Amino acid sequence: MPPAEHFAAPPGWEWWILGYFFFGGLSGGSYAIGTLLRLVGTAADQRAARIAFIASFLTLLPCPLFLIADLGQPLRFINMLFDASNGGFAFKPWSPMSLGSWALLGFGLFSFVSFVGAVAESGWHAGDPIARILRGTVGAVWNVIGTAFGLFVCAYTGVLLAVSNQPVWSDGWPLGGLFLASSLTGAAALLLLVARSRRDVDAGTAVRLELADRNFAILEAVLIAVFLVTVAIAGTIGKMSGVWLLLWLVVVVGLVAPFMVSRLDGARRWAPVTAPLLALLSVLALRALVIFSAQT
Amino acid sequence: MTNHWRDIKHADVILINGANPAEAHPVGFQWFVKAKLDPTKGPGQGGGAKIIHADPRYTRTSALADRYLRIRTGTDVAYFGGLINYVLENKLYHEEYVKNYTNASFVVKDAFDFKDGLFTGYNAQTRSYDISSWAYEQTAPPPPPGGAVEGPPTSSSGFAKRDMTLQDPKSVFQLMKKHYSRYTPQMVSSITGIPVDQFIEVAKIVGEMGRPDKVMTIVYAVGLTHHTTGGQLIRSGALLQLLLGNMGRPGGGMNAERGHANIQGNTDHAISWEILPGYLRIPAPGQRTLDQYVDQSAAKKSDPNSWNFFGTNYRNFMVSLLKGWYGAAATKDNEFAFNFLPKPATNSSWMSIFDQALKGKMEGVILSGMTATSIGPDVNQVMKALANLKWLVVMDPLPTTSSEFWRAPGVDPASIQTEVFMLPTTHWIEKDGSFVNSGRWMQWKEQVIPPEEGKARHDHWIMAELFDRVKTLYRQNGGKFPDAINAMTLDWYKDPKKPELDEIAKEINGKDLATGKQMASFALLKSDGTTTAGDWIYTGSYTEDGNLSKRRNGVQDIAKNDPTGMGFFPQWAWSWPLNRRVMYNRASADLDGKPWDPKRPGIQWNGSAWTGDVPDYPATMNPKDPAAWLPFIMNGEGVGRLFSSSMLDGPFPEHYEPMEAPIPNPLHPNQSEDPVAFLYDQAAGRPNRFGKVDKYPYVATSYRLTEHEHYVTQHVPLLVGLQPQAFVEVPEELAKEKGIANGDRVRVWSERGKIEVAAAVTKRLGPIKLAGSDKPVYHIGIPIHWGFVGVSADQNPEKSKFWLANALTPFVGDVGARTPEFKAFLVNIEKID
Amino acid sequence: MAAFQERPMGFFTDTSICIGCKACEVACKEWNQLEGNKPELLLDSFDNTGQLDAQNWRHVEFIEQIPDNNGVVMTPTPIAGGQAWLMMSDVCKHCQNASCLEVCPTNAIVRTEYDSVLIQQDVCNGCRDCISACPYGVIGFNEKTGTAHKCTLCYDRLQNGMQPACAKACPTESIKFGYLDDLQKVADQRVAALQTAGYKKAELYGRDATVYGGLNAFFLLMDKPAVYKLPNTQNAVLPSRNNFAGYAGGFVTAVVGLVAGVLAFRSQRMNEKSDAAR
Ligand SMILES: Nc1nc2c(c(=O)[nH]1)N[C@H]1C(S)=C(S)[C@@H](COP(=O)(O)OP(=O)(O)OC[C@H]3O[C@@H](n4cnc5c(=O)[nH]c(N)nc54)[C@H](O)[C@@H]3O)O[C@H]1N2
Ligand SMILES: Nc1nc2c(c(=O)[nH]1)N[C@H]1C(S)=C(S)[C@@H](COP(=O)(O)OP(=O)(O)OC[C@H]3O[C@@H](n4cnc5c(=O)[nH]c(N)nc54)[C@H](O)[C@@H]3O)O[C@H]1N2
Ligand code: SF4
Ligand code: SF4
Ligand code: SF4
Ligand code: SF4
Ligand code: SF4
Ligand SMILES: [Mo]
Repeated sequence: MPPAEHFAAPPGWEWWILGYFFFGGLSGGSYAIGTLLRLVGTAADQRAARIAFIASFLTLLPCPLFLIADLGQPLRFINMLFDASNGGFAFKPWSPMSLGSWALLGFGLFSFVSFVGAVAESGWHAGDPIARILRGTVGAVWNVIGTAFGLFVCAYTGVLLAVSNQPVWSDGWPLGGLFLASSLTGAAALLLLVARSRRDVDAGTAVRLELADRNFAILEAVLIAVFLVTVAIAGTIGKMSGVWLLLWLVVVVGLVAPFMVSRLDGARRWAPVTAPLLALLSVLALRALVIFSAQT
Repeated sequence: MTNHWRDIKHADVILINGANPAEAHPVGFQWFVKAKLDPTKGPGQGGGAKIIHADPRYTRTSALADRYLRIRTGTDVAYFGGLINYVLENKLYHEEYVKNYTNASFVVKDAFDFKDGLFTGYNAQTRSYDISSWAYEQTAPPPPPGGAVEGPPTSSSGFAKRDMTLQDPKSVFQLMKKHYSRYTPQMVSSITGIPVDQFIEVAKIVGEMGRPDKVMTIVYAVGLTHHTTGGQLIRSGALLQLLLGNMGRPGGGMNAERGHANIQGNTDHAISWEILPGYLRIPAPGQRTLDQYVDQSAAKKSDPNSWNFFGTNYRNFMVSLLKGWYGAAATKDNEFAFNFLPKPATNSSWMSIFDQALKGKMEGVILSGMTATSIGPDVNQVMKALANLKWLVVMDPLPTTSSEFWRAPGVDPASIQTEVFMLPTTHWIEKDGSFVNSGRWMQWKEQVIPPEEGKARHDHWIMAELFDRVKTLYRQNGGKFPDAINAMTLDWYKDPKKPELDEIAKEINGKDLATGKQMASFALLKSDGTTTAGDWIYTGSYTEDGNLSKRRNGVQDIAKNDPTGMGFFPQWAWSWPLNRRVMYNRASADLDGKPWDPKRPGIQWNGSAWTGDVPDYPATMNPKDPAAWLPFIMNGEGVGRLFSSSMLDGPFPEHYEPMEAPIPNPLHPNQSEDPVAFLYDQAAGRPNRFGKVDKYPYVATSYRLTEHEHYVTQHVPLLVGLQPQAFVEVPEELAKEKGIANGDRVRVWSERGKIEVAAAVTKRLGPIKLAGSDKPVYHIGIPIHWGFVGVSADQNPEKSKFWLANALTPFVGDVGARTPEFKAFLVNIEKID
Repeated sequence: MAAFQERPMGFFTDTSICIGCKACEVACKEWNQLEGNKPELLLDSFDNTGQLDAQNWRHVEFIEQIPDNNGVVMTPTPIAGGQAWLMMSDVCKHCQNASCLEVCPTNAIVRTEYDSVLIQQDVCNGCRDCISACPYGVIGFNEKTGTAHKCTLCYDRLQNGMQPACAKACPTESIKFGYLDDLQKVADQRVAALQTAGYKKAELYGRDATVYGGLNAFFLLMDKPAVYKLPNTQNAVLPSRNNFAGYAGGFVTAVVGLVAGVLAFRSQRMNEKSDAAR
């Protein structure tokens, strides 16, 4: 099969977008992990769950700002939701950017409420009615739907790139899944980081987070492979080699670090935050790699 | 043009030499495309006209051509000569036409000969010919074609001997055959570099155009004129067209694509020094009386049936001109003030002016709409010349390298003594007036944008004011020969200081002083001082019906406005002469007046009158009448001249190498260059500065790009964006040799100067292999459009120091028009690192 | 002047009679008041414009394919006139299935009554998704206006019964403007004529539905589309082709990921239970 011919011009999506993809991923991933801890975790895991929801909302905060900053007409960000020419909604399910805008809005709501709930629970407001509701079945349902939104936000950014005519991006339909997987890896690493730096997180939780992190890493590794295969078939893989190999290195190191910690004695002696930090870097590097290599 | 732009769509073959219409005349090029797309045109079965482009460079015209011939610059005489030879040898010429419509049958004096590259009568000291032997044997009038009786009365001293069998060895036909027999395909190839097989293939196509039902047009421009052999280059094409019987026919002719939108008008109104308006000769020293002048200037009948219209009316035209200029002061008794006219003893062509300045013989110069220091040749020398002046006036809407020459890169203003005055004029977009296009159409244009009040003034107003002040000075202080100034009539203008262009157009047409009515035709001009004509060829353009150049009855109603369907559109504007669209159109019909090709009639005899285009012939003269005029009414012969004594460098075009050539002339190595080309430096006692091939191994030619108009558009940002900076085109093979990559900066230098520009490495220029030589000839292409003023020069002050193409070109001109050899000179090239 | 009928209109650009004069480029800039990018010497043959973008809504490509030869360029050999030096005035194709219109989240890109594809400047918010989508690299982002720009098919002129500026300026009628069905007839005749004349490579691009359901601005090419930087029929694909696979991939990954997470957190519980049993 002859290589794909691409004559599209680069959209000039750069640092703001990278920032959004990174934090958006962490936010969605954290929310999902928060939900998991809440629904299948032990009582000891609940503190971590609350941290996850709080982290989710805090990492979500910069996202709309980054997106608006990237617009040529920032004040018209609202046109993403409302059609300025006919006053109705601007909702195009087949346009990832349109769908994503709505998803982000929805997730914002869930993330915010869960955040409030988490804050309320933690200590001084324990008896608070909201907190109580959110700890019950209603809360569970709320978390599940929120997770759906959160994971969608993680994934659609990849689909957004794929739904174009850019080299690499449009050649790699697995980007959605890949970004989702690496969002989970990143989120797990982020929570580990917090857990490690705080006494009050249960040691067992931390261990389980480590395990989850490694599972996600494996999933991510698989998707990277699938992605590379599709791009290779399209014949545009060359765009991601050269200087980009350095970023690939960062990606790989971040992926294997958690395993080294658990296997190699040497690595055990690393500062406890090293592996999660490397994992986060890896998440950032992967997105930078995909975003920039295609546009140069 | 003998024909006109729209007419090109009638051609079966379009032979383009020394022109790049797609780039230099993009709008006119639409007619080439129309011919190409018309299935009824073309050689053989048709299927579209064939465009044949001969050019050293593969240009945007070549890109659309059906045949492209890469020809060595300056060798088109050999190319045309080869075609002429092919046509003669294979009897492909239009026999009936050649016999009756050309001077093939005329018998030339015994003394005439051509040997070793020289015609008889050459004088090496004066570098000129005594042309007495370039003439016809005189006889009593023979019976004209069709066994006619007495021709009309004639002032001629005797008629030329004719041999209608064309067998007389001294007949023009036989002489021509002999002359061009040397131009074999092999020889053509060894001169031009066109491979023999390609030449033959093209010759076949061209030869077919000798059939009456086929027609070819030859299109040329300054790729032919910018040579020391310019005149002959063009004549060689005309010869070919006469042989093929394509002169005077729609879709045929010899068509010069002119330069500036109104350069045709300029030429008609005597922009060049050796003529008066309407191509009347400038009086020569010694011509004391009008009689002498007319006798020495007007052509003589050399055949009883030749009308010799120009010659016969010469006096009428001249007197009407004088009467128009000097009005009451021009009387029978003072020979209509003939003595007011200057009788220049020295050549005053473009180069001569700056040559004089160099010699310190000029006080001041007024440059109006002309950028001496960009257009060259040899601009470094031209700048020296300007620095030699007391004062320089530049009339221009924009700064030019001339108005700024005193601060050119590397020049210390303090070292320039010349006082420079800038008179801001309006640009032609800011005035109305007429453009006369290549097809001789005088078309009125409206003012597009009004000039900013007080920021600029119309040229003609500046001139009028200037004239008025000079006149006043003469009145007050007297001075040498005031009459010519004082007698000048200004009574055509409401405000003599602000003449309207429409008033001037009216004046140019002229009027009948008896009736006060505008003249309807130059045929009515008289020599008794009762008529005026500022330029006789324009008489008829502004009649009692008004300014005909304003007429606009065109394609909005084709049926009505183009009755013949031949695209003459007689009600659209006005073309000289007398609104005739195809010149010499009598030759478009056979002896009986039937069109050679009924599908493409020019004019035809309907039994009582000539119909079609405005006939180049008396409207009701029966062609079968024994006394009927010969077809070419303007010249003395009454027929087209295959042999002509009016060219100073030979009656037959001969190939001569450019002054700077890569090889000696294969035809006659000992007479390589044109023997009469004018060598200014030598004549002025300066050393000739011609480069030799050992020091300058590469051939250069200079030219235009679509994106720019000379130096003007350097002030137009959008166009600067399209071609931002100076560059030269370098053949890929040569670039490899020299280690030059696309975009590298290179230095190109000649014996005169250098340029430093970017290199465009391309296969559009290629090595040219001359038959019998294995060493390829490389051309380097040099676009002319840059200098040290304009948008990109300002943006790149360092880079643009050496952007003037004409720093390279030789200060030499052809013998007739003294046109510089811009198109062929030797250079060397190196990468700047 | 009366406006045109509300029927599909567009361009038939016949590259075989383009003389690369760039009048179209300039006319477009003049009419649309684009000042152009900063002059830059590209020397890409005679092209110094470079590409279509916010400042260049028409762009004349120059493609030199002059083979090694001793000056021989004859027709109709493989390097026939019209094949040795290709010139093509590129422009927005006003695709029937327009990638840009498909992805635009704000509905700024619309289809007009003339069936052309238009970016409403007062709606566009400069997200540049259309740029990433256009397979022809037509759209450019204007820093000054903060919006995306491209050929409007001279919407303003059409509404006043005037043909587009570029078509009007084109001296050789290489750019033909009109109602689509008329243009298609002309194009079919022209390509047939070239084929019989021996120009075997001559083809129509976008005249039928094989690329993006048909292009309202379609071309006669003298060589393969890729030579002109145009995707061929296999490669002329819409962004939305990746929607399903993209989301499906995301969904599967989400499920697997959640399971992986559950396993991770559950596992410990098991251990705890067994501890308790001891
Ligand atoms: N875009 C644009 N158009 C213009 C002008 C402009 O400045 N810009 N200027 C106008 C003016 S004033 C004029 S005079 C005309 C000139 O119109 P052209 O004469 O068509 O223009 P040039 O580019 O000077 O030369 C034409 C071609 O002659 C070729 N050539 C050079 N030497 C020879 C030779 O010996 N034999 C043959 N066969 N070809 C040769 C050159 O390679 C070039 O391609 O253009 C007019 N039109
Ligand atoms: N090496 C080389 N040299 C060449 C040539 C070549 O092919 N090669 N070509 C030669 C030829 S054919 C020509 S015609 C010349 C061109 O030489 P020029 O005619 O000197 O070139 P332009 O730049 O057209 O100069 C016209 C000037 O007139 C000004 N102008 C425009 N309208 C008006 C007006 O209404 N009134 C006044 N007063 N000024 C006005 C413009 O601003 C511009 O400065 O170059 C010649 N030089
Ligand atoms: S510039 Fe004017 S004269 Fe020259 S081609 Fe264009 S329209 Fe004709
Ligand atoms: S060419 Fe590009 S910009 Fe034009 S309509 Fe098609 S997709 Fe949209
Ligand atoms: S940049 Fe404007 S036109 Fe393009 S997709 Fe975004 S909103 Fe639509
Ligand atoms: S149609 Fe109008 S906007 Fe589009 S390229 Fe032509 S001139 Fe420019
Ligand atoms: S105006 Fe016409 S001929 Fe000139 S470049 Fe544009 S398309 Fe080609
Ligand atoms: Mo000229």
